[in-house]
Amino acid sequence: MSLAAIVANPASGKDIRRLVAHGSVFDNQEKVRMVRRLLLGLERAGVERVLYMPEGYGIVPRALNAIRPAMAVDALEMPVRNSQEDSIRAAEIMETLGAGVVIVLGGDGTSRAVCKGLARMPVLPLSTGTNNVFPFMLEATVAGLAAGLVARGVVDREIACVRSTALEICVDGEPVDLALVDAAVYEDVFVASRAVWDMSKVSKLCLTRCRPDSIGLSAIGGQLELIRPEEPRGLAMDLGENGERVVAAIAPGLFEEVGIVHREIMAPGRLYPVGHAPCLIALDGEREVAVRSGSQAAIRLILDGPWVVDVGRVMEAARSRGIFVRETSAGRDFRPIRE
Amino acid sequence: MSHSKEIMVKMYTTMNRIRMFESMLQEYFAAGKIPGFVHLYLGEEAVAVGACSCLTDRDSITSTHRGHGHLIAKGGDLKLMMAEIFGKSTGYCKGKGGSMHIADFDLGILGANGIVGGGGPLATGAALAAKYKKTDDVTICFFGDGASNQGTTQESLNMASAWKLPVVFVNENNGYGISCPQCKSMAVTDIADRAAAYDMPGVVVDGNDVLAVHEAVGEAVKRARRGEGPTLVECKTYRWRGHFEGDACTYRCTEELNEWMAKDPIPRFEEKLVESGLATAEELEGVKAAVKKELDAALEFAQSSPLPELSALLDDVYA
Repeated sequence: MSLAAIVANPASGKDIRRLVAHGSVFDNQEKVRMVRRLLLGLERAGVERVLYMPEGYGIVPRALNAIRPAMAVDALEMPVRNSQEDSIRAAEIMETLGAGVVIVLGGDGTSRAVCKGLARMPVLPLSTGTNNVFPFMLEATVAGLAAGLVARGVVDREIACVRSTALEICVDGEPVDLALVDAAVYEDVFVASRAVWDMSKVSKLCLTRCRPDSIGLSAIGGQLELIRPEEPRGLAMDLGENGERVVAAIAPGLFEEVGIVHREIMAPGRLYPVGHAPCLIALDGEREVAVRSGSQAAIRLILDGPWVVDVGRVMEAARSRGIFVRETSAGRDFRPIRE
Repeated sequence: MSHSKEIMVKMYTTMNRIRMFESMLQEYFAAGKIPGFVHLYLGEEAVAVGACSCLTDRDSITSTHRGHGHLIAKGGDLKLMMAEIFGKSTGYCKGKGGSMHIADFDLGILGANGIVGGGGPLATGAALAAKYKKTDDVTICFFGDGASNQGTTQESLNMASAWKLPVVFVNENNGYGISCPQCKSMAVTDIADRAAAYDMPGVVVDGNDVLAVHEAVGEAVKRARRGEGPTLVECKTYRWRGHFEGDACTYRCTEELNEWMAKDPIPRFEEKLVESGLATAEELEGVKAAVKKELDAALEFAQSSPLPELSALLDDVYA
C-alpha cells in the first residue's frame, strides 16, 4: 500500500521575530487550507493512505471538513506533548510504518525536528515558518502531487531527491544535536525566546549551504560563496569587528552588517571548535544547545543528512514519462495512471 | 538580553514571593480565615515577573481578577495586600475591596479588576495619557484567554494600534476561561494570531519560562517607548489551582495538571541560574528563607490588624 505522511506544526511562525523583525504571521487556518490542497494532490497522485501527526489544533482533521479524498487519512497513535519532541517522534513512527515520504509544514525549526527522527525516508518541507531556508515556498497542490509520486515509488528516490548535508553538534566528544542549514555560536547563557537577531553576540557561524538570494543567517555566507545543499562542503566563519564587512538579510525585513574576520570551506567530518564556554549554539536560527563552562563543543559537517524531495525534478520526471498524459481516441485524458 | 546577577536574582525573589503569598492564601482560605473569593496565580509566576521586570515605577499595569502576582511583581506592598485580602482596615482598600480591587497608583498599579476584559480600556487610556503628555511611559495590560474574547479587549487592541499607543498587551493563556476550555470558546489556538488583524506584532512565548517572557516583553516595551505602538505577547501557561479556591476542577484531568506542574517555572529558572553560574544553590535557598520571613511578617500584620469599624461603613462611598 502506498503510504505518505504529514507533519503540520501548529506552533510554527509565531515567535519573537514578528516583533524584533517583520516576520509574517502564518495562522493555523492557512495551514489547514494548505493541507487540504496537499491531500488533494496526494490523492490525485494515487496515494492510498496518509498518516499524520496529531496536534492540539487538529490541522489535518479540520482540512478534512471540506474535502473527502478517496484514501484513508489516519492520525498516528502517539501522545501529544506540544513540543518539538512530537515532530521527532512522529517522523520515527512514520518511517517505521513504511511511509514513502513525509511532508512537513513548518519552518526551519520544524524541519530540523522531523529530520532528527528520520533515517532514510524522503522529506518534502513546505514553508509556514519565518526564515524559510530549508523548506520550500511551494504551492501545496503540486507538492502533494510530487510527494505522492515519490510515496508510490513512481519516481525513484535517486531521481526525486537530493541528499542534503547537515551539521552535527558535538559536546565533549558526543554528538548532541543537528542543524540543517546553520549553526551559530551565540555569546549568551540563556536560551530565552530562542530566536537570533542580535548579531553582536554571534562569534562563529557554520553553514551547510550558501545562496545569495537566501534569508536568515545563511544569507551572510550567501554573499561570499555559492554552496549547494548536496555539495560535500560547508562554510565556517569567525565574526568580529574587523575583516570584510557583509550586509545580509538575517531575518524578514532586518538587514545587518557583520564583520568576517576569518572564513574557510568546511571539510566533511572535521571538527570546528566553538571557542570558549559557556555559550549557546543556535541551530537553524534558534538558540538550542547550552554549552556549559568547562565543556568542549565543536561543529562538523556530515554528508548523511536528510533526503529532500525536489519537486521540480519529480514533476520533470513525470512530464518526461507522460505520467499525467494519456492518449485516447477522444484526445488527451488527464486522469492519473496507477502503475 | 541583560542578565546581570542583580536583575536575575530579583526576578527569582519575586517569583518566590508570589508563590509563597499564594500558597499562604490557599492555606488560610481553606481554613476559613479569608472572606470573599480568591483566584490564585500559582503556576503562572513567570508571566507577571518576566513582564513587570521590564518596567520602571513610572510605567503602569492593569491587572485582572487573578491579580496578586501582577501586583507583587509591580512592587505592591505585601502587608497591605495581605491585610486587604483578610478584610482588615489596614489594607489597601481599608478592608472593603478584597482581592479584586487592590490598586497603588504611586507604583503604577492601576488596579486588579473583577470585570473580565476590564483592563484593556484602562490600559489603553493610560497609554493615551502618556502619549498626550509626551512621556515615554508604557502600560502593560495583563489579560486572560477568556478576556481576549471580550469586545472591550478587541476594541482596545484596535484603538491602541490605530493611535500607536505605548501599551503592551500581555495575554496569559492558561487554557481555560473559568471552566471552559479554549477549544470550545475560540476558533484559534493562538491568541497572538489576532494581532495581525490590527496590524500589530503578535508573538507566542513559553509563559513558564521567565526569561522568554522577559525578553519578548522587553522588546515590546522598547518598541512602545520608541513610539512604534502596541504589541500582543501571548504567554502559554497554566493555573495549578481552580478558577477560584473551592473550584472542584471537574473540567480538567489530573494528567494535564501534572504535565504542567512538571514545567514549574521556579525550578526551571533556578536550574538556569545555577548552571550559568549567576547564583549558587545555597544563595537561592537563602532567598527563599528571606522571602518566607517577609511573608510571615505580612501575615502577622494582617492577622493582628483590626476589622473595619461599623461606623466606617459609608466612608469612601461616592454614590
